[in-house]
Amino acid sequence: MGRKAQKNDSLPGSLDMLILRTLSRRDLHGYGIVQFIQQSSDNELLVEEGSLYPALQRLELNRWIEGVWGVTSSNRRARIYKITAAGRKQLAVETRKYAKLTLAIARVMGA
Amino acid sequence: MTDMLIRRLRYWMGSARRSEALREEMELHLAEKEAELEADGMTAERARAEARRRFGNFGRKHEESREIWMTRFWPELAQDVRYGIRTMIANKAFSALAVLSLALGIGANTTIYSLMESILLRSLPVADPEPLVVLNWHSRPPQNASKEWVHVMHGVQGMAWPGDKGAMVSGMFPYAAFETLRAENPVFSTLFGYFNGLHHNLAVRGQATIASTEYVTGEYFRGLTVSPAAGRLIDSDDDRPGAAPVAVISFAASQNRFGGPPSAIGQSILVDNIPFTVIGVAPPEFFGVDPAAALDLYLPLHTNLLVDGAEAARMYPDGNFYWIEMMGRLRPGVSMAQAQAALAPRFHQWVATTATTGGERAKLPALMLNPGAAGLGSLRRQYSKPLYVLLTMVGLILAIACANIANLLLARAAARRREMAIRLSLGAGRFRVVRQLLTESVMLASLGGAFGVLFAIWGVRALTLLFSRAQENFTLHAELNWYVLGLTAALSVVCGLLFGLAPAIQATRPDVMPALKNGRGGGPRRRAQHVLVVAQIAGSFLILVAAGLFVRTLNNLHSVQLGYARENILLFSVNARQAGHRDPEIASFYADLRKRFESIPGVSSATFSQSSIIHAGLAGRTIMGTMKIGAVTMHGARVMGAGPRFLTTMQIPILAGREIDDRDQPGSRAVAVISERLARTYFENENPVGRRITLPDEKRDLEIAGVSGNVRYGGLKNEEESAMTVFVAVSQFSPDRVTYALRTAGDPLRFVQSVHEIAREADSRIPVTNVVTQAAEIDRTISREITFAKLCTGFAVLALLMACVGLYGTMSYNVARQAGEIGIRMALGAQRGAVVWMVLRRVLLLAAVGLAISVPAALVASRLVKSFLFETRPNDPGTLALAGVVLVSAAILAGYAPARRASRIDPLSALRQE
Repeated sequence: MGRKAQKNDSLPGSLDMLILRTLSRRDLHGYGIVQFIQQSSDNELLVEEGSLYPALQRLELNRWIEGVWGVTSSNRRARIYKITAAGRKQLAVETRKYAKLTLAIARVMGA
Repeated sequence: MTDMLIRRLRYWMGSARRSEALREEMELHLAEKEAELEADGMTAERARAEARRRFGNFGRKHEESREIWMTRFWPELAQDVRYGIRTMIANKAFSALAVLSLALGIGANTTIYSLMESILLRSLPVADPEPLVVLNWHSRPPQNASKEWVHVMHGVQGMAWPGDKGAMVSGMFPYAAFETLRAENPVFSTLFGYFNGLHHNLAVRGQATIASTEYVTGEYFRGLTVSPAAGRLIDSDDDRPGAAPVAVISFAASQNRFGGPPSAIGQSILVDNIPFTVIGVAPPEFFGVDPAAALDLYLPLHTNLLVDGAEAARMYPDGNFYWIEMMGRLRPGVSMAQAQAALAPRFHQWVATTATTGGERAKLPALMLNPGAAGLGSLRRQYSKPLYVLLTMVGLILAIACANIANLLLARAAARRREMAIRLSLGAGRFRVVRQLLTESVMLASLGGAFGVLFAIWGVRALTLLFSRAQENFTLHAELNWYVLGLTAALSVVCGLLFGLAPAIQATRPDVMPALKNGRGGGPRRRAQHVLVVAQIAGSFLILVAAGLFVRTLNNLHSVQLGYARENILLFSVNARQAGHRDPEIASFYADLRKRFESIPGVSSATFSQSSIIHAGLAGRTIMGTMKIGAVTMHGARVMGAGPRFLTTMQIPILAGREIDDRDQPGSRAVAVISERLARTYFENENPVGRRITLPDEKRDLEIAGVSGNVRYGGLKNEEESAMTVFVAVSQFSPDRVTYALRTAGDPLRFVQSVHEIAREADSRIPVTNVVTQAAEIDRTISREITFAKLCTGFAVLALLMACVGLYGTMSYNVARQAGEIGIRMALGAQRGAVVWMVLRRVLLLAAVGLAISVPAALVASRLVKSFLFETRPNDPGTLALAGVVLVSAAILAGYAPARRASRIDPLSALRQE
């Protein structure tokens, strides 16, 4: 039945949130985002790297992030993404949702 | 929302660039990953493989990223089309049936529409047709039909036709009217005249054929804005008495007779034995100003003085003889109404001077301008109504076809109900599913349209042939042009949406759960199906009635008593006068030729006459005026010029005396043979042989030599006292064109070759024309009725078939749906007959409802075709009853198979399924 957007991570929708969170710290290009997520999760979260790009396009379409051409540390042309004001709001919304969800799960697990 | 749409759109505009940027971005990612892995100590090769592995499917990710921006419309459409093709292939029988019925429906519509386009809508193929206007006049009818027709028009060469409120309308004018209007014309940049010269003998390098000729004034080609394909066209200097005789020929004639336009220029030709020089060739698409005509030859107006002689010389100065037609080209900025206002008083002033009596002055003709961009209206007047009737019919057929497919789709929607329910419950949008179903139906319709065009190509050819049999000298310039094809394409898509929409909406009704449970449909679909079936039945009944009426009309026409033989007679025409034969030698030439034809083995007798009997009074020189027997004036008698052995050849019984024979020569005593009806009316029981008939206008006395059986003079629909005929010896009346008739053993057309050989031997300058069997010549006069009867019968069969398929489909579906109920009934002891009846009762009910709707409609609609009927009333009860019986029988036939299947249902297995 057709090809739906694939979500390979364990928590649905969490990739968007992780990208927004990453970009809220600093502006980065695609590979940089993946690296950052992996390093800051101590390699616990393995993003299917290709899936990053549809997600970036989706976020850009929604005007949560913005891509501009820039240069990487290795001096290559790359699209550097930065979070927008709308993106920060969205991040807040998602963070709240996430907190609720993890809290609920923790309660169940703790009971 | 709109913001996003604009962003998407902007992305889409730069999509190639964006797609490339995305690729670059993703490749950078891979390169950096690779570099990192290599730095960690992997070999370059492994690093690349690992980077790729972690990235996932590069192409697919690229595609997915792009799709985020692109609306999914196109890719999804492609998906729908692919799916549609699979569905069509999976249901071959259904698809074939649907495509076939649509192809027939769309093909029929395209055919009729292309005829309409060529006859009713198309402009003349000249540079700037819009400012052209046709000049006509109209005058009130005679107040009292029995009174002599008092009119300033004492004679006319051409057509007049009925206008509004019984007025007489015509496009013919005296030459002086043309000169008056042409002088200092403030509203026309050009005013030009022309008249149809009919057929003339055209000899090129000794080869003679018949050429359809138009005489045109010097302004004709300039006024029409036509440029020559070669040479130059006729101008004002060529159109003077005494100018060198020049001719322009049609493109086709230049190819057939000279092998191409350039080689025709400067050639010498003979028109009725008068030498002309070809100065130019008309462009290939040009056919003159009458879309019905196929002209070969254009001659300057005044050359008719050379070709037609003294008769033509009399026409120019006669202000009461109407013969020339006119068209004008409006000056820029002048409207037709302004032109009318400017010219009508001038014409009135002129025409008043031609009236000599008070009666003539009382109803002078008044000038009337009509749009001329589409040329003359003779075809439009003749065919617009038949074409609208046909268009209505094919429209109805297409509607039936659409209803049929909608019905089949509804039934199939039942089968696909589970599929739809699964799709909907898996989260497909309803719109998405409707769109997919519509894609399928539009695909069916487009395929139907494509095949329909093939049908139409054939149909246009066949219909052109059918229509052009109506008259010699008739051409239809119908073709499938882009305009028509565009309409066909639009029609197909509309049809697809029309029959696809209702089933699609039905199929996606949100009550998903029951469908998932047992896959059987509910009530609304059944109701929709029944409505469609009833509509189909009603529509087919209308077409059946029309077919019935037209077939009956044709039967009536075919059973008209002719009084002469129809079969085994070959007719053809010869015009020796145009090849230079003169009185009195022409009479012996014709007589000698007759004897030669009679000597052909297999020809039992040969004769000739002014024209064929069916065209009597319409062709050749008519001998009219009062006829007297003593002091008594004969009313309603018609004269027919006949040669020797006419009655024998035509198998008209000779009741007394003798028929016209070789003794009746130009110098000998003038004789007549009268028909029995005439003899009974004016001589009662006396023997008329030896008595005299006086023709005061012809200044002669005829001695009655014999009495013949009654003959239907002229056309089949001629209601006047057509049986009163006076046959005279055609050789005694200075014949021009004559029509020979040979009575043959077997197929008359086998003798055509011998006829041509004998005629060539006699005089190679005379072409034999209009070779046709008597039966075909008669059928030609009723070709419209034959066309209608054939077409409508075809349409009726088609409509009936479709209605039956619809009925069959509906009933089969109902039986399948009710299998459980029927099973219970049978388990409880219902007889098979009762089950059959249960199904058939519903069929009959549907048919009855359909009939109840369409009988009143048929009564109203059939009145519209009244003028096409012959001795048949539009509400003919026999036809209505027959149509009803045919329809109900067909319905029962279509319903019987499902009924029988219902009666074979095994109660046990049906109940087990429940």
